[in-house]
Amino acid sequence: MNRRTLLGALAGAAVTVPALSACSSGITSLDSTGTTSGGGGSSKSGVTIGTANFTENQVLGYLYAAVLEAAGVKVTVRPNLGTREILIPALKGGDIDLLPEYQGALLHYLDPKATATEEGEMQNALAIALPAGLQILPYGMAEDSDAFVVTQETAKKYGLASLADLKKQNGKLVIGAAPEVKKRQVGVVGLKDVYGVEFKEFKSLDSSGPLVKGALKKGDVDVANLFTTDTDIQANDWVVLTDPKNLIPGQHVVPLIADRKADSTVRKALAELGNVLTTAQLTELNRQVDKDKKDPEDVANTYAKQHGLAR
Amino acid sequence: MYELFKNLGSWLTSGAQWSGSDGIAHRLAEHLQYSLLATLIAMAIGLPLGLLIGHTGKGAFLAINLASFGRALPTVGLVVLVFLASGLSMTPVYVSLVALAVPAIVTNTYAGMTAVDPDVKDAARGQGMRGHQVLFQVELPLALPLIMTGLRLALIQVVATATIAAYVSFGGLGRYVFDGLAQRDLVQVLGGAVLVAAVAVVLDLALSGLQRFLFRHRTA
Repeated sequence: MNRRTLLGALAGAAVTVPALSACSSGITSLDSTGTTSGGGGSSKSGVTIGTANFTENQVLGYLYAAVLEAAGVKVTVRPNLGTREILIPALKGGDIDLLPEYQGALLHYLDPKATATEEGEMQNALAIALPAGLQILPYGMAEDSDAFVVTQETAKKYGLASLADLKKQNGKLVIGAAPEVKKRQVGVVGLKDVYGVEFKEFKSLDSSGPLVKGALKKGDVDVANLFTTDTDIQANDWVVLTDPKNLIPGQHVVPLIADRKADSTVRKALAELGNVLTTAQLTELNRQVDKDKKDPEDVANTYAKQHGLAR
Repeated sequence: MYELFKNLGSWLTSGAQWSGSDGIAHRLAEHLQYSLLATLIAMAIGLPLGLLIGHTGKGAFLAINLASFGRALPTVGLVVLVFLASGLSMTPVYVSLVALAVPAIVTNTYAGMTAVDPDVKDAARGQGMRGHQVLFQVELPLALPLIMTGLRLALIQVVATATIAAYVSFGGLGRYVFDGLAQRDLVQVLGGAVLVAAVAVVLDLALSGLQRFLFRHRTA
């Protein structure tokens, strides 16, 4: 946790650099800039939050809304807008102002050749890769990254705890994942390059969905590619293999915001949320929406109140 | 756009693309295997059922409604459902392809049977033909054109839908569509789609040719 906090602070400092240079182009801000503030925008006219088309992103969007409202900002949430291909242009065009994002995935979208996998590095790379007018704020603790998962039985049978252990079983194990994982660095290619792992077979299934989880449960595949905030990992007591060589890029939740709205009120409110919300808590919120069929807005508001982030 | 079609052309014609286990030739063979086997199973189920209800006139309401229900089933949903019950095998694929093909076969067979002129059936019985003789020597030959149409319809639907085998990790031409989408390789997606369409058209033409040959002496 220490390393993470330190890097977060460093990364936060790094982000303010391009944001500050953006101010110099004539925007006069009355905002008395404190240590957390670097942007030249104002949230006085209200902030519109957009979210992508999956549960967790909507929960995050409503969490952002809850903490911003508590800070006195007028908020509109436009949930379920689609994928990055729609959201990023909407953000640039001014239809939305703020978007819950993920470090690694956003970086890969902006710069497919990016090689950074470590949180601080990625934060810097993101600040460089972002188009003018947009910036990222310091990332939160919660993380939704790729995970390679095995069942308890498989872990015991083959003595698996980390991705490096897979090499001992080269040619024996079957991996199940979405089709793209076969050719991706965070997938079969990287596992071979970084850990020297070779699978017996690649089964092309879905992305952390019913197929790949069903196949893992039934033993049709030995290793499955899931996401860390998938509630079924805990529910089934599956083992997430550790990644000692940092193959998998960090996917910390990071707010992506238009410069025009990034004032100190917004920065502070979102940073407080980022420091409180953990991966386990986010997983639990996802579970409440997906399994208990609760409304994402209610789930987010309840969480914010319980943790003193909203009244 | 021009660039895309040029790339598609070279994808479809390159020798390397046609060979190997991920080559077009192998995927095409897999696709045909899935489609033909599923259609054959569907025929084994749908033909007797359609003939039976057409001949007896009993259970038609139930069968036709069940068939419509079968048509309304989303194939991908069915694949996932059967997958969760049976695990990773070809079963989910065949179950859903058969479920897709049976309704077309049953309804067309039934329609063909009901279209047979009642006077002709009466005349056959009047000549002393037994039930099975009426069925196989009078009704079936007269209903055959519509039955064939049902089979063509079923096969085309199955060929177009057999791409879902790739959804649950198997082969066939759907492999190109799913992998291409996942890897953002538009040429591969388009190549797969064009091949599926081509297979469907060729099979349909072949069957319609066969149909015309078989019924060449008929005027209607």
